[in-house]
Amino acid sequence: MKHLSEEELVAHFYGEAADRSDPGGSDPDGSGEDRSAEKGSIGRHLNACAECAERLAALRSDLAALHFAEPPARDEGYGKQVWAALKDRLPAYEAEKARWARIGVWRGLGYAAACALVVMVAFFAGRAWEHRHQPQTAAAKNPQAQKQVILVVLGDHLDRSERLLVELKHADAGSAELVSPMREEARSLLAANQVCRQDARQMGDPALGAALDRLDSLLNELANEPGGLDGAAIARLQNEMNGEGLLFEVRVLRSRMPEVQTGRSTRTNGGTI
Amino acid sequence: MEKQDHAAVQAVLTGDKEAYGALVERHSARLFRVAFRMTGNEADAEDVVQDALLRGYQKLAGFESRSDFGTWIYRIAVRCALDRMSRSRRHEGARVAEEADPEAGEMQLADGAAGPERLLLSGEMGAMEELALRSLTPLERAAFVLRHMEEQGCAEIGAALGMEPNAAKQAVFRAVEKMRRRLAPLRVMR
Repeated sequence: MKHLSEEELVAHFYGEAADRSDPGGSDPDGSGEDRSAEKGSIGRHLNACAECAERLAALRSDLAALHFAEPPARDEGYGKQVWAALKDRLPAYEAEKARWARIGVWRGLGYAAACALVVMVAFFAGRAWEHRHQPQTAAAKNPQAQKQVILVVLGDHLDRSERLLVELKHADAGSAELVSPMREEARSLLAANQVCRQDARQMGDPALGAALDRLDSLLNELANEPGGLDGAAIARLQNEMNGEGLLFEVRVLRSRMPEVQTGRSTRTNGGTI
Repeated sequence: MEKQDHAAVQAVLTGDKEAYGALVERHSARLFRVAFRMTGNEADAEDVVQDALLRGYQKLAGFESRSDFGTWIYRIAVRCALDRMSRSRRHEGARVAEEADPEAGEMQLADGAAGPERLLLSGEMGAMEELALRSLTPLERAAFVLRHMEEQGCAEIGAALGMEPNAAKQAVFRAVEKMRRRLAPLRVMR
């Protein structure tokens, strides 16, 4: 028969169950379901084992004989005395903390609300701006309006071309001071003529397109004549222009353009009248 | 009483410092009792009570409303008493060594000339028991006091001392063994 250990006896004395196979106890929190079973097991052993019962009696006797000094009595006013001693040492920081915590919360909420307001204002301002500018964009995309713009540009281009052709018609070898501005104007018109030819093709106007093609050829020669414009070159270009009736054709085309500008300025070489 | 305690705790937490007075008045006596049993000294016990209640006030925001305030502050008092016992033991370590011989497992009596009968009659026995109690480590003494005098279960002892219940049970066992060994000479006088 395996006798009870001292620890088991102590645990039994205090009403704490102990696992006989494990001195540390299988019921670590001391409140397991099998506590009563263990106590029953130890109790049965004590009934059967005189030696262990004698050891338990000795333990009980030793512990029962202990008489420690009882705590000095405290009167009913003891709690008040303790509170009086403590009272001044306790800061009332809890209320302060709660108030500051509330302020912190409100401050955080204020910041969040301000941020939300800024975002909302920016959003609605953006939408309003978009609405305000949308009609202009629509007008720009209007085909009718686009065509109107093209006509204006074409009219201006034909106007300038007509003036250049008139100058070329009246130029001669002696008017050397006019040659250089004519060539510069021809270069400028040449670039604009490229755009106008594309516009003419888009508009589906073959007469205009053909005239601009011939004008392009003339402007090209006028602007890029190798060795500059001498009397022979000017005469050749005049013949070419007259032979094709280019000046007349340009005038006819320009007259077809709608007058979109009432006081249109008239350009001459080097200035505006 | 538990409801009253919770109401007082809530009042304190909302800034009513005076409400803590009710808690102090209600629990001071019990705290003094356990503090005295652990420290064995009235002045130390008074200090422990005040320390525990002060610490409790400072930690009150962490008190869980589902807990029992009495149990909560009791555990704090046990910890405060244990701290004080540990400090006292370090301070009095040399003097205790002069009074007892741990190697021999014997205790020196105050008056070697006195016979057993005189000891019994003069109440020296109680003093010896007190000395035996002092020979325990602070943790063993705390566990023994809580188990033997305060009649707390090992689970509660473990919770109060910040250890597992099984470790608390072992501490109680070691304390009982040491006490019995120390007081064995008195067994023949009874």
